[in-house]
Amino acid sequence: MTVTADTAPAAAAPAPPRSAFGAAFDRGFEILCFSAATFLLTALGGIVVSLVIGGWPAFQTFGLNFFVSAEWDPVQEIYGAAGAVTGTLVSATLALVLALPLSLGIAIFLVELCPPILRRPIGTAVELLAGIPSIVYGMWGLFVFAPWFAKHVQMPIMMSARPGTLWETITTGVPNGAGILSASIILAIMILPFIAATMRELLLTIPAQVRESAYGLGSTTFEVVRKVSLPYIRTGAIGAVMLGLGRALGETMAVTFIIGNAHGFPTSIFASGSTIASTIANEFAEATEELHAASLIALGLVLFVITFAVLALARLLIGRQQHT
Amino acid sequence: MNVQVEMPQETAVLELPPEIVKLQIKDLNFFYGQKQSLFDVSVSFAANAVTALIGPSGCGKSTLLRTLNRIYNLYPGQRATGQVLLDGEDMLGPRVNVAALRARIGMVFQKPTPFPMSIFDNVAYGVRLYEKLGKADLANRVEDSLRRAALWDEVKDKLKESGLSLSGGQQQRLCVARGIAVKPEVLLLDEPASALDPISTARLEETISELKRDYTIVIVTHNMGQAARLSDHTGFMYLGKLVEFGETEQLFTNPVTTRARDYITGRFG
Repeated sequence: MTVTADTAPAAAAPAPPRSAFGAAFDRGFEILCFSAATFLLTALGGIVVSLVIGGWPAFQTFGLNFFVSAEWDPVQEIYGAAGAVTGTLVSATLALVLALPLSLGIAIFLVELCPPILRRPIGTAVELLAGIPSIVYGMWGLFVFAPWFAKHVQMPIMMSARPGTLWETITTGVPNGAGILSASIILAIMILPFIAATMRELLLTIPAQVRESAYGLGSTTFEVVRKVSLPYIRTGAIGAVMLGLGRALGETMAVTFIIGNAHGFPTSIFASGSTIASTIANEFAEATEELHAASLIALGLVLFVITFAVLALARLLIGRQQHT
Repeated sequence: MNVQVEMPQETAVLELPPEIVKLQIKDLNFFYGQKQSLFDVSVSFAANAVTALIGPSGCGKSTLLRTLNRIYNLYPGQRATGQVLLDGEDMLGPRVNVAALRARIGMVFQKPTPFPMSIFDNVAYGVRLYEKLGKADLANRVEDSLRRAALWDEVKDKLKESGLSLSGGQQQRLCVARGIAVKPEVLLLDEPASALDPISTARLEETISELKRDYTIVIVTHNMGQAARLSDHTGFMYLGKLVEFGETEQLFTNPVTTRARDYITGRFG
């Protein structure tokens, strides 16, 4: 009996390398994968650190005022983020409020009610909506949607508002169709496909027999959806909403086109405003003063933190569903 | 020499006396799209009795069950022709209120299907849809249903916990409780014990035997012992046809059709 060099180490290692080259190659492969993963962490850390360093002069100069003041005046070099932060939160939240019922309706229709022949066309339309570039939404919003919106929505509402009422206050504005609400509507259309697609996936995870049980007890479609389907996907759905919110918060081009780009607190839904992303996009090229640039970078850091918090919350909620 | 062999019957369906019939099926055909999966099924189910449906996989026994409460209506392309008479009233007609029908004919599925809500709310779910009960009455109904499903003692201290937190066997009995809470007239059970361990199965079988006093029960099962233990009547189905239907004892000890005999003696299936 001959013992070859190949069979000798076989007992020791579970997967014996066939050659020295093979072992080295495998080691190299492991290192490559590891580097790919660590690169990501490094990049993330690098971005955070450079945002903090870049924005530091602004934090140092204005302190807490940077967060609570809405005054943004490049001429006098006074910068406060509150206006842009408010604009960001308000437009994203309004967009969500508008998009959520629509996306739910689309998802429920596609899963529970849609005749098979319509399922593909509508599903594809939703996906196509997600594929339209942001800048196209912006142009369409400014050139097509805003004039129509001004004439057919904004003007009638402003005209009908009785002077002196709260309704009048929150509906005043230049009747050009550009403002917080217009931006929110465009944003809603943009995040709609993402929320609708996720909701649809979630609804499809409900076992057929659970739905049949609910119908089997004599429920109507509405009762099944409201009492069984939606509670079934509840936490996942909150996650989906948060992901949509995350997108709306950071959306730049479309919003920059249509929000009107005015600094300060937005006082009415038709008033021009600004978001963090739109402010940065508008001013970065002209920010020659150090403090101006630093303030814009600090704004970026604030947006990063807000978005990160929303996404982290979403992850937490989605993760929790898997345990119940 | 020419020996005359007695030819076994092709089909043999016992006619029940009309006064004990709760649910009567007449010339039922069922289609999944183009594919026909039930052929001229005619059979009656007796009130306050358990009827078992047995047969090899794909023979149409679950399909038959799904026709009775029109759950197939949820899926476009599935359709049935013929009649399903509940107390003499046709349930397949276009004017039947399907939701109300399903409240009269309850169904428990193969796998437990608790809803994502508390144990109490699971049982109360169907009741709340159709009856406006006061708090105490509702609580009584829930307790009564859980007792009948032999689950009360195990859950009485945690009615507020999620129905999903129970074990598989408990979840299935919860589904039985939910099904009987609405006081249906007929209870359809589609292999209710197939996902359960032997102990849970035994408890569920006890429950079914108890429920027979108040309900008409139709159970689809792969387990012949279960059919023999539980049922008063048994139907044997094969390739979408009802081959033999009769008293359970007679069908299991002395089947008259070759198919049923071969299946019961284990020659196929």
